[in-house]
Amino acid sequence: MALLEIDNVTVRFGGLTAVDEVSLTVGAGEVCAVIGPNGAGKTTLFNAVSGNAAIGSGRILFQGEPIHGLLPHQISAKGVRRTFQNGGLFGDLTALENVLVGLHARVESGILGVLLASPSARRIETEATARARALLDLMEIGHVADQPAAQLSGGQQRIVEIVRALATEPPLLLLDEPAVGLAPHMREQLVSIIRRLAGQGIGILLIEHAIELVMSVADRVVVLNYGKKVADAPPAAVRADKNVLEAYLGHV
Amino acid sequence: MLAVLPQLVVSGIATGMLYALIALSLTVGYRATTVVNFGHGEMVMAGAYALFVFAGFGLSFAPALILALGLLFLWGALTQRVFMRPIISGPHLSLAMMALAIGYAMRGGARLRWGSEVVTLTRPYSQDVFMLGPMVVTMDDLAISGFVLVLMGSLSILFYLTPVGRLVQAVFQSQRGAALVGLNVHAFHAMMWGVGAALGAAGGALLGLFLPLSPDMGVWTLVRGFAAMTLGGFGSFHGAVIGGLLLGVMEKLLGFYINTVFIDITAYLITILVLLIRPAGLFGRQTVVRI
Amino acid sequence: MAQPIVTPGPTSPTPRAPRLPRWLFWLIPLALLPLPLYLDQYRQYVVNLILVYVPVAIGFNVVIGNLGLLAFCNVAFFGIGAYTSGVLALKLGLPWWVTILPAGLMGALAGAAASVPALRGVRLFYLAIMTLAFGELLRWVYIRWVPVTGGSFGMSVPPPNVFGWVLDNEGHKYYAFLALAVITVVLTDRLLRSRFGRAFMAIKDNEQAAAAMGIPTDRYILLAFAWSGFVVGIGGSMYAALIGHITPIAFDLTELILQFAVVMVGGLGSLTGSVLGAALITTAPEFFRPFPGFLELLFGVLIVLVILFLPRGLASLLARLHPLFVDRYYRD
Repeated sequence: MALLEIDNVTVRFGGLTAVDEVSLTVGAGEVCAVIGPNGAGKTTLFNAVSGNAAIGSGRILFQGEPIHGLLPHQISAKGVRRTFQNGGLFGDLTALENVLVGLHARVESGILGVLLASPSARRIETEATARARALLDLMEIGHVADQPAAQLSGGQQRIVEIVRALATEPPLLLLDEPAVGLAPHMREQLVSIIRRLAGQGIGILLIEHAIELVMSVADRVVVLNYGKKVADAPPAAVRADKNVLEAYLGHV
Repeated sequence: MLAVLPQLVVSGIATGMLYALIALSLTVGYRATTVVNFGHGEMVMAGAYALFVFAGFGLSFAPALILALGLLFLWGALTQRVFMRPIISGPHLSLAMMALAIGYAMRGGARLRWGSEVVTLTRPYSQDVFMLGPMVVTMDDLAISGFVLVLMGSLSILFYLTPVGRLVQAVFQSQRGAALVGLNVHAFHAMMWGVGAALGAAGGALLGLFLPLSPDMGVWTLVRGFAAMTLGGFGSFHGAVIGGLLLGVMEKLLGFYINTVFIDITAYLITILVLLIRPAGLFGRQTVVRI
Repeated sequence: MAQPIVTPGPTSPTPRAPRLPRWLFWLIPLALLPLPLYLDQYRQYVVNLILVYVPVAIGFNVVIGNLGLLAFCNVAFFGIGAYTSGVLALKLGLPWWVTILPAGLMGALAGAAASVPALRGVRLFYLAIMTLAFGELLRWVYIRWVPVTGGSFGMSVPPPNVFGWVLDNEGHKYYAFLALAVITVVLTDRLLRSRFGRAFMAIKDNEQAAAAMGIPTDRYILLAFAWSGFVVGIGGSMYAALIGHITPIAFDLTELILQFAVVMVGGLGSLTGSVLGAALITTAPEFFRPFPGFLELLFGVLIVLVILFLPRGLASLLARLHPLFVDRYYRD
């Protein structure tokens, strides 16, 4: 059974069909990249999976259970985590606090415990903070833990966002254009992070414009054009596909 | 009971004309800058006091009114340029607070100068009463409705039929497009706040014809302007006008047939109910932000 | 994986930003304890008024500073608290200390009601206008519901009574107020420091991302409004006890601007700022009472200047002095 199964999904905005009967699957430990020209429906597809866009028809199954129709926070709680295209960090919070928000579902202190500063509430908070610090240290950005996220460099922000999404060890991670604005050496590091996560069995659905990054990291590439899936194959095969060339050349 | 209905509608329409003008003046600034001027009520108040000051110089009504509107146009444009523009890309809270604070300071200024005096405007016409069939129509009703209709008529001609009006229309449609063809969007924002302030000032002048002026009259008008704007749909010009008329009539009807307290609270109730049930109002183009 | 993933930083444990030890906080109320020995009744009254505005400001700040929603209904919570306390004392003969919690709970209820438009997705100016209408509607209730509220003339509240002890001078009230101010500060501080406060700020910065982190945003918006109403309602109860006579005019738009000024000058989203703002702004009306209008002019200009030149208020100025003063809810 695939981790994520998108089955004949259509998303419409008024008269516009943004995603048109698209099907794809992501398995555990698999990196599946979605590429396509601007306006091809990539981000809409993502939003449909994460609950930010309602689907018109079709099904979205996560670990065999339907998740379409659930609210974003419910989908997130089931173990589908995502990052955002244009800086989804909480700018006023520190890097550490951002990761703590990512851990939100795990910090199960009640409001009375918090107000009375009960020992268990304190313990939960201390443990969560320690875990968040450890996660940042693991990605070697522990030194910026106490800086507001808005003051971090673009690369650091991207990594904090990935750490935040991964904090609860979700089985599936959606990355929306993680390489945008990153310097070349940061892109290499991003590739190694994605590979490492896949190596740990996390399924990854990735939207990316940087073709060379996609080709080096993805196990499978899905190409969208005008909301329709035009190719679904390993990178090398996609590179040679005529439909794909047309999709891009038609727009260049 | 039903015999009074036409009378209530007639006087409701006259009040509604005033609300329509104020809602329209709020909408002009809002459509141009997407910022609601929370200090707009004080522009209305200042318009009335400016008219009083100019009339005090011995000017007759019409020239005093034109000077008052001109002054408020300049003041509106100036506040937008000096106080709003530096923070225009900041959080909405700051924008709302800034406008509110400017209005608040204006109110304080008015209270310092005129707070202890009773200030009234003199009508430029005699207080006659006409009988229209069974209905009583006062000269105040006629003056307000006539003035607002003439103002709206000339604005419509300006807006829909002249080249300048078409340009303004185009900028309302697409600010980015306007910037691309070389129009100074910043100057446009300031100008439209000025126009909004001047229109509000006209409303204040009308209000001052039959009510004594007070530094607090701005709050009263702002609440009704908001209600009319909400009912008609935020950002819609004809919605603002129809919303204002409906509000005026509803206040009178609910006040007479149910309880006089509705004259005071109809505006609040309409604001709350419309935003809860149908946030886009009657003619709203833009729905409330939903996340 | 031996290869470094990012530019290597210093080895763990990583250095942490300097912070004041938490217990130092308690020195402030401790130092304030002997104050009544040095103040006459009038000055003591002014200090008590500041203490009333401590919960009012921190409650307001939770919604506009931490949750970041443009809600103008703080005065409504304040009025509800004051009238709840007043009505319970006057009509049911309850001693003041018994009415404090109900005042807070009624405030919380009003907060929950005021959050309904926000829960339905109303934001920005629409929310501001709507909450403004809500507050004005309540004020109209105070004016019209004469048998209970005494209408425009208001109602006289019996002197506050704590465990049978009547607080008949300002110095006595001071200790009760100081205790309440400290309790509300400590509780709000704990709330904001917890996952709840983090969720508020996350919603402020990016509501969509907050939901994507598994935060049921609706529940937290409701909580923030209710907490704000609770704390401000307690402030209202203190106000009733301090003034002894409550009238609808105390809860009008002028009051709203005063409360805005307190929060904006103190610092949006900063607990320290709320307290600072209360201390500095609250006393101003006392000085300028003989010049009607001057105060409005002053507050108007002050808010304009703060927004233009010090958008995070005095708290940010303090934080610039020394990193020790950086409190957690404030970032420059």
